[in-house]
Amino acid sequence: MYPLLLAARYLRSRLIPLIAVGAVALCVALVVIVVSVMSGFLDMLRNSGKSLLGDVIVSAPLGGMPYYGQFIEELESMPEVEAATPLVDTLGLLRMPYPAGNRKEVVPVQVWAIDPPSFARVTNFRDDLYWQGRDDDTRESMMPDDPRLALGDSLLGQGANLRDADGQPGIVLGMHVSIANARQRDGSYRPRYDWFMPGMETVLTVVPIGESGRVGAQRDRRFEIVNELQTGVYEIDKNRVFVPLEVAQELLQLDAAPVVDTSADPGPDGNFPVIGTSPARVTKVLVRASEGISPDALRSLVEARLTAFTDRVNGDPTLRGRVPSNIGVLTWEQQLRDIIAPVEKEREMMRILFSIIYLVCAGLILSIFWAIVAEKTRDIGILRAVGASRLGILSTFLAYGLTIGVIGSAVGVALAALVVRRINDIHDAIGQDAPTWSWVAALGIAATASVMALRYAKRGVLLRTLLWSITAATTAIIGVALLLHEGTLIWDPAVYYFVDIPSAVDWPTALFTALGGILFSVVGAAIPAAKAADTDPVEALRYG
Amino acid sequence: MADASPSPVPPILEGIDLRKTYRIGRVDVPVLRGASIALRAGEWVAILGSSGSGKSTLLHVLGGLDRPDAGAGDVRFRGESLSAWRASRVDRYRSHDVGFVFQHYHLLPELTVLENAALPCSVGTWGATRLSGTDAVRARCTRLLESCGVGHRLRHRPAELSGGERQRVALVRALAADPSVLLADEPTGNLDAANGAAILELIAARHAAGLTVAMVTHDAAVAARADRIVRLVDGRVEDHVN
Repeated sequence: MYPLLLAARYLRSRLIPLIAVGAVALCVALVVIVVSVMSGFLDMLRNSGKSLLGDVIVSAPLGGMPYYGQFIEELESMPEVEAATPLVDTLGLLRMPYPAGNRKEVVPVQVWAIDPPSFARVTNFRDDLYWQGRDDDTRESMMPDDPRLALGDSLLGQGANLRDADGQPGIVLGMHVSIANARQRDGSYRPRYDWFMPGMETVLTVVPIGESGRVGAQRDRRFEIVNELQTGVYEIDKNRVFVPLEVAQELLQLDAAPVVDTSADPGPDGNFPVIGTSPARVTKVLVRASEGISPDALRSLVEARLTAFTDRVNGDPTLRGRVPSNIGVLTWEQQLRDIIAPVEKEREMMRILFSIIYLVCAGLILSIFWAIVAEKTRDIGILRAVGASRLGILSTFLAYGLTIGVIGSAVGVALAALVVRRINDIHDAIGQDAPTWSWVAALGIAATASVMALRYAKRGVLLRTLLWSITAATTAIIGVALLLHEGTLIWDPAVYYFVDIPSAVDWPTALFTALGGILFSVVGAAIPAAKAADTDPVEALRYG
Repeated sequence: MADASPSPVPPILEGIDLRKTYRIGRVDVPVLRGASIALRAGEWVAILGSSGSGKSTLLHVLGGLDRPDAGAGDVRFRGESLSAWRASRVDRYRSHDVGFVFQHYHLLPELTVLENAALPCSVGTWGATRLSGTDAVRARCTRLLESCGVGHRLRHRPAELSGGERQRVALVRALAADPSVLLADEPTGNLDAANGAAILELIAARHAAGLTVAMVTHDAAVAARADRIVRLVDGRVEDHVN
């Protein structure tokens, strides 16, 4: 026990171990904060991606996939499938209701034409609609001027069904499609210039593309905006609009249509004879897995089912439509690969780069311990003279390193947890001008420190003059920086995907980092500890 | 052999033909050149010698703190050769069979008086839960410190004590584990006359109670308190004075 007791005593009665504890704490905190934010960012990306796409995506070429209704029925009959929904996606141009006058703004958009009831079963569409009344808990935390406080459920119902108050097809816009929504610091939105989008009219322009790939004439359609959607993924909120499936199918000529025989003679009304019906088509089917089924497992099942379905349809001469052979089946993760992979790689890169911090930490501990052992040489001689073993000396200094590692890592993790949890508050504080008291206080301390430095300089005390001068210079620089600081929005939602900085601690990483901090502290202490144990007690007593 | 009048009582601690050479830079400096000494149980021997004659080295070798050159002499405690012992037995020899007092006190600055005094007992066992040792050790050390006149200083740090008080604490530390032999290296060398005399009185009292003492000094007056005086010249124990 005495090595531990002695280590604890050394720790309490010296300043130098505090420096070591501080160094370990800062190294650990740095790694935990960076990796936590990156991991949180990745998790948010994954969750948003998954909640918008379901688990598995069946993607057909632009010409579309026929008999999708049957295919979805077949999928939904599988116990592994919770729900499936058809979708048409295309690009379009949206004529916005602003500014006033005739010259309206036109923005490019990605159009998702959906079947609202089944789409809501596969994704979190309904929850992501922004203009809806909130539960009481959420209402309490809202600012008093938040327009949502005055909202009933009518806009939610319109958005969820993509119908306006008269039952006509409506459109839902991503939150950042219009420039009218001004984001507040608390993450809520206020309409700019009274441009409250729901209820306003827009015109959507799309271009049908035939099965042969020929581009048809543009089609326009007037829609009333019935709601707006906030997923939190900026890329999506900036570009995506939702319209009812049947409207888009009609605009894009993907709806069911009579097939005529152009080789026959026209009838008495001048039309060719109808010989059948071409089936309606969609470009995507989103599938949601049942509880406990992994996306990868579901993907294989869906792929097998699609192959069987394709063979059956294409082998049936009575059916008009053909299922294209180049339909892809991907999990949501594969679908979002180009967004997720770079972030994953960045995180691993950061992890590796920041691991170098560990080496700095170990080097720091090593040099601090070297100094401690050098200073304690005489004590080591005394301990050996009164019967302490080499193992006892080694254990004392290893326990010293272990204690510094444990305390430093714990402080580091606590510090990281504090910073990560309050990171949005910290970010908001940086985004504002520094409060007057902060720079007044800093400059006040600088002035006091300068006076102290001058007093010691007059008395010719070098060390204290230097320390007070450094304090004065540092606080003066901080004071001036605070005085000049103007609010800077570092995490701009226009640049990053998300509106908030992720604020959850990555506990596995925190644990791993803390263990690393402890390990490197012990390794850093081991070399001087072994040197201490090897010290010749006679030499130590003579020269220590 | 330096001891010309062998006693029928077997020696408790014996150094036989000890040789010790230090290497300083590229030069070998012989310090002990075949020194032999025998301490009988209960005897007080003063080791006189000029500066650099190897007095401290002889004491360190006798106390198991240093070793003679390989194959050059032997130290025996109660007839057992220290060179035959395992390291752990030598550690225990230093903590429990002999006690060291140094000229420069050598107390640990971070520990209190009581913890310093109990050090041989706490480092001699892995089970201690306090640096001041078990209750029995604490009681014994407190009693010893009181008998040496520093009982009111138990919770003070060495820096708060005078030189005389520090040497008393160092003496109590040497006696803490109730050793058979006290090895004192100029214990009064750093003290004024009054404090030096007081330390000698304390050692004399323990000697009267049966403690074997080997004391290195270059002060003839101090040496006069001993039962026997040996002189170290050129690394050899040359003569003895009764």
